[in-house]
Amino acid sequence: MQRPGQRQLVEERETMIRFNNVHKWFKDLHVLNGVSLQVQQGEVVVVCGPSGSGKSTLIRTVNQLESINEGEIWVDGKNVADPKTDLNALRAEVGFVFQHFNLYPHLSVLDNITLSPMKVKGMDRAAADKLAVTLLERVGLAHKKDAFPAMLSGGQQQRVAIARGLAMEPRVMLFDEPTSALDPEMIGEVLKVMKDLAESGMTMMVVTHEMGFAREVADRVVFVDHGQIIEEAHPEHFFTNPQHDRAKQFLRQLLTPMN
Amino acid sequence: MNYNWDWNVFFKSTGIGSEIYLDWFVSGLGWTIAVALVAWIVALGVGSVLGVMRTLPNKLLSGVATAYVELFRNVPLLVQLFIWYFMVPDYLPESAQVWFKQELNPATSAYISVVVCLALFTAARVCEQVRTGIQALPKGQSAAALAVGFTLPQMYRHVLLPQAFRIIIPPLTSEFLNIFKNSSVASLIGLMELLAQTKQTAEFTANMFEAFTLATLIYFVLNMSLMTFMSWVEKKVRIPGMMGGAK
Repeated sequence: MQRPGQRQLVEERETMIRFNNVHKWFKDLHVLNGVSLQVQQGEVVVVCGPSGSGKSTLIRTVNQLESINEGEIWVDGKNVADPKTDLNALRAEVGFVFQHFNLYPHLSVLDNITLSPMKVKGMDRAAADKLAVTLLERVGLAHKKDAFPAMLSGGQQQRVAIARGLAMEPRVMLFDEPTSALDPEMIGEVLKVMKDLAESGMTMMVVTHEMGFAREVADRVVFVDHGQIIEEAHPEHFFTNPQHDRAKQFLRQLLTPMN
Repeated sequence: MNYNWDWNVFFKSTGIGSEIYLDWFVSGLGWTIAVALVAWIVALGVGSVLGVMRTLPNKLLSGVATAYVELFRNVPLLVQLFIWYFMVPDYLPESAQVWFKQELNPATSAYISVVVCLALFTAARVCEQVRTGIQALPKGQSAAALAVGFTLPQMYRHVLLPQAFRIIIPPLTSEFLNIFKNSSVASLIGLMELLAQTKQTAEFTANMFEAFTLATLIYFVLNMSLMTFMSWVEKKVRIPGMMGGAK
């Protein structure tokens, strides 16, 4: 699964996401405490960390589903916290996949996917339908295009949600614990789709506890605790030789939860 | 109780042309429907806008909507009607006053007052239902809509409102029935809707029990039909796979 020209080109690539000393408070709680991080174009970065560490908040600041109090976040050359930035246009370029899928329950699978290309980009119905069917084939659900979300399994819903994100032809895809709400037997089908996406060269930032995915697909693993990036390493190094005690403890708990 | 029921009374002549008392009821029902239906359409529109306003991040807009609800919900309907009919016209510009008080047919000016009154009163109640419908949706829905780049109006139009309205069909139905029942206040400002015609029949014929029994029956059948219509609508828009609604 080595992607062509993966490692050696990273330096020459454009920076897709750049966090620059980002702070965020929820009242007294300092959820993001001076985060700086860069994600290059085509890179897959996995963000992990204990629950409550701020990793979901971190990923939600990229498209400003969460605002920030201090610092800067640049996405594709635009400062997201700048009031002059057209947030809707920016969000249209950034796909987001949620833990709980958040499909529109009142729309068919096809309409879930075509809605934003039609309304945000002004694509006509025929082109949008064609695009949706192509994307559904890619996630293996073309036969479900007329179904409604409530009729699908969790894994299927999440694959539709990924297709919905891709329909905007985003430059970056963000995943916020995409498999945490799934039954174990459905996790694989979603990770498979994400792996294919990574191999196609998509820039991805993924909050997940799926260490198998991190090891196999990620270019870099970022470990977050108490709103800070504690460790940032190649997955191989992170898993075999974590530097910080908290990272060691986290991995121990994750890999051998009973001990 | 010694009362001689006489159901034939409705087929007796009123003494005006070839009119029978039943005709009064038919015409009263017509006014009742004309008042309630028009007021309902306005209430649904105004109430939906207010309901959306109450859920907006903008403090001024949500504050205005909240104030509206408090004002119209806390003053009795009848008081509001008297204000609209007796007071408000006096504060209109001169030309509008002349038009409203002199040029308009008295039935029409009463009709306008009662429609405005019922519509604005009911709008406050519709507002609260729309607001709760929107707030009942999972937070993830608005997040999902914003994440794909929808503007706020697009988010409401395509994602939030279609779901919110489905949720609130049952309470909206009861508001829809209420507006038909509340339209009877129009009788107090002389609009000859169903209740006014009933009272008039009772006075003209002395068959009060028959008149009110018929009125009760008409209101009942009318509201039952509305309810049946609304449950048909509810089934029609039910989302496949949800709430046992698979087709």
